[in-house]
Amino acid sequence: MDELDPVIHASARLKITATLATLPVGDQIAFPRLQELLGMTAGNLSTHLRKLEDAGYVDVVKSHQGRTPVTYLALSRSGRRAFEDYLEALRALLGESA
Amino acid sequence: MNNNTMDADEPLGDPRATLALLEGQQRQVLNAQQTPVIWMYLIWGITWFVGFLALWSGDADGNPWFTIPAYVATPVFIVMLVASIVASAVLGVRINRGVRGASVFSGAVYGLSWTACGTAFAILGTGLISQGLSPELANLYFPAAYALMCGTIYLGGAALWRNISQLVLGLVLLAVGAASAFAGSPGNDLVLALGVGGAFLIAAGTLAVRRRQGR
Repeated sequence: MDELDPVIHASARLKITATLATLPVGDQIAFPRLQELLGMTAGNLSTHLRKLEDAGYVDVVKSHQGRTPVTYLALSRSGRRAFEDYLEALRALLGESA
Repeated sequence: MNNNTMDADEPLGDPRATLALLEGQQRQVLNAQQTPVIWMYLIWGITWFVGFLALWSGDADGNPWFTIPAYVATPVFIVMLVASIVASAVLGVRINRGVRGASVFSGAVYGLSWTACGTAFAILGTGLISQGLSPELANLYFPAAYALMCGTIYLGGAALWRNISQLVLGLVLLAVGAASAFAGSPGNDLVLALGVGGAFLIAAGTLAVRRRQGR
């Protein structure tokens, strides 16, 4: 139980998943807004989002606002569960009850 | 700490530091959503407080210490009111920008309820005036109606987002709005300035302090 999920356990991806976890289930956030909340460069954010997407933790939806393409992101069901498990494992390491 | 769980280029500290990073990021997101709310409370607090004190001071039977000419007090109130409505619309849009999905409907209905209720209360007041409501009673009706409207919508917001500040604010606004008529005109202006304006300002201050303390 105290093995921390390596997909989440990296500072950038930890911050990304923590941010996406604040969204209510059923909501998605636009890439530029997520970037603003994280203070990351677009390239860095894309790289880490791809790793999360490859793990099946993040759903990526390409959309259009008028003619401008916008990418929307959200934690997938397994991503949300993985984040909750990660948080639980972290607290267990600290001796806090889940 | 287990090395194979970490990215070599992004070392994370011990579990305590990791948890602090995680919680700090989530707090930052919530703060970003809360900043426009604090501004709204502050703006409306100033408008109710200064605006209604101006109206109270613009009435010969109002402020015993000094009087502002009505041709100054009324425009001051109207300009502050319009500026606050515009500022709220701008800030309101910023709260959840970049987000779409299930909660957008709730937010849109909440936003619409301000316009819809505001218009309905204005039409009702105009109808009452057309049926002979005196200017003195209209002075009691309009501000009270809007305090009650704000209180009611804040209760809706509290239910939607499980938000305690909106719950407390909503209840205070309902109480002050309902009681204001008993003070008569222009005493009701003072009651609303202190009660509603004060409640908004206290709410803004409380949220700002709690935010600085990390909740």
